[in-house]
Amino acid sequence: MGRITLDKITKSFGDVQVIPPLDLTIEDGEFVVFVGPSGCGKSTLLRLIAGLEDVSSGEIRIDGKNATETPPAKRGLAMVFQSYALYPHMSVRKNIAFPLRMAGMDQKEQDRRIDNAAKVLNLSDYLDRRPGQLSGGQRQRVAIGRAIVREPAAFLFDEPLSNLDAALRVGMRLEISELHNRLETTMIYVTHDQVEAMTMADKIVVLRAGLIEQVGSPLDLYKHPRNLFVAGFIGSPTMNLIAGEPARAYDATTIGVRPEHMALSTESGKWTGKVGVAEHLGSDTFLHIHETGLAETITVRADGEVTLRHGDTVHLTPVEDKIHRFDGEGMRIS
Amino acid sequence: MATQHSRAAARLMISPAVILLLGWMLIPLGMTIYFSFLRYNLLMPGTEAWAGFENYSYFLTDPAFFAAIWNTLFLVGGVLLITVVGGILLALLLDQPFWGQGIVRLLVIAPFFVMPTVSALVWKNMFMNPVNGLFAFLADAIGMQPVDFFAEIPLLSIILIVAWGWLPFATLILLTAMQSLDGEQLEASEMDGAGAVSRFFHIVLPHLARAITVVILIQTIFLLSIFAEILVTTNGGPGTATTNLTFLVYAESLLRFDVGTGSAGGVVAVILANIVAIFLMRMIGKNLDA
Ligand SMILES: Nc1ncnc2c1ncn2[C@@H]1O[C@H](COP(=O)(O)OP(=O)(O)OP(=O)(O)O)[C@@H](O)[C@H]1O
Ligand SMILES: [Mg+2]
Repeated sequence: MGRITLDKITKSFGDVQVIPPLDLTIEDGEFVVFVGPSGCGKSTLLRLIAGLEDVSSGEIRIDGKNATETPPAKRGLAMVFQSYALYPHMSVRKNIAFPLRMAGMDQKEQDRRIDNAAKVLNLSDYLDRRPGQLSGGQRQRVAIGRAIVREPAAFLFDEPLSNLDAALRVGMRLEISELHNRLETTMIYVTHDQVEAMTMADKIVVLRAGLIEQVGSPLDLYKHPRNLFVAGFIGSPTMNLIAGEPARAYDATTIGVRPEHMALSTESGKWTGKVGVAEHLGSDTFLHIHETGLAETITVRADGEVTLRHGDTVHLTPVEDKIHRFDGEGMRIS
Repeated sequence: MATQHSRAAARLMISPAVILLLGWMLIPLGMTIYFSFLRYNLLMPGTEAWAGFENYSYFLTDPAFFAAIWNTLFLVGGVLLITVVGGILLALLLDQPFWGQGIVRLLVIAPFFVMPTVSALVWKNMFMNPVNGLFAFLADAIGMQPVDFFAEIPLLSIILIVAWGWLPFATLILLTAMQSLDGEQLEASEMDGAGAVSRFFHIVLPHLARAITVVILIQTIFLLSIFAEILVTTNGGPGTATTNLTFLVYAESLLRFDVGTGSAGGVVAVILANIVAIFLMRMIGKNLDA
């Protein structure tokens, strides 16, 4: 079980309120991702849940029980840190065994759990090494191993992949998702990478300056961003946001069109512009269109085979029913 | 080619320093070894004669010699124990955030700047004096018999004085080591269910191992040659109760004017110090590699 409820929690450092009153419920078995720009309070929120920081006010409930005053070790949560925080003087086996030893578990059960975790995480060959003798990805797995042997009610990850290179990050992303499918334990995952958020989450929580901007499934956020911030944050490349005259035609202050919802033509269309940089990815090509009079750059997703060149004139037409409209406050008009 | 040239040039450039250092070391050592084989008494100048190993057999069979060895070991061991344990505790304390931290840290370091002779005299006259000392006053105040430190527990008193002087050094090194400990490691262990005590023994202490090794190595080298504190307080007494090897060599050559035996003692001390150094390197030097 791992149902976590945050009830009007706030956090201030001195006079600065980093988290204004915030409500959130995380269901048992859910994979929740906190995403937001740097400094928006994601880590702080995670540390409040872990118990490493005390809340200034409000209540944290785990499985219905008030855990606001419970020390971190007693909350039954396991955390994987960005720096891995492995114990450098202990072997991998000792590292993974540490929480079990602290809990006073008997040796047989300890060995069983460690061997199990090592098998799941492909660490069996490294159990006698020191963390210093492992690669970044292996260290990450040890840190996860140390978390899973405890069989916690929920896992907390704070940007666990940000120290890895791009290829490894994609691999570990899959491994963590797979682990979640297998364990079916609640996981809370912090990242500022919206691709990680989109690919892994059951539920995404978008934060800005400690405030929850929107909560929902990845596709929900993608299709129905509640405001301009979420619209601009979710999706890669980002949504084209167009203000002014073209937006007024749609009874909105700002309209948003995703790159894949912009039809491209060399003959005719609603708007006209000149091709700038073309990013060929093989399957797709992302074209940066300038001089449209809409915005600095308009990004358009085109076919991988497109043969347009720098400086060519093109015509753009938005897919009408895929246009997002926002009012003067930046809120969605539906 | 360039590197060969520059290497040759580098050798040439550092040679004056190397020659100076070698001479500085080798000439006194050579003379000491030479004197140790002579019958050489300052009271009878001009009667120097070859003595073979006589000085050595005299020095090594002197009952004072064994006393001196034990005293040296107790002195070094005692001071190491107090400074390392005390240093860790003080470092733990100073690592906590509290009001007036800067001033307190400065005060803790202060004893290191006091000359050994001065600190020993201050201890002897202000604190440990059985009539006028602060400790005697305190003992009187609670109705106890004042302790005559240098008569009853002379070696322990010296250990206390020396440890007081070296405590700041140990504290400083251990404090910096403690501050370099990754905060996330402590938080991780906290989440893993380790209480304050287990955190200290499983995380903090292993992290300090290297710094403790450095403290022990450096202090041992200096503590083997403690002299000033003994000279100004007990003069090696009562009897030989506070005579360490260094003081014994001094006593032989400058109190009994027997330079020959003194030199033999010096050579023995050098050999013993090297044995200790090799031991230490073997025993804890591997801590430095990891
Ligand atoms: N111990 C602290 N004392 C004072 N302010 C703090 C403290 N910890 C965090 N803050 C402030 O709280 C805000 C949120 O910090 P937090 O670390 O939660 O950001 P984050 O969303 O995790 O950012 P990042 O993506 O860069 O890790 C920041 O403005 C930061 O300056
Ligand atoms: Mg963070």
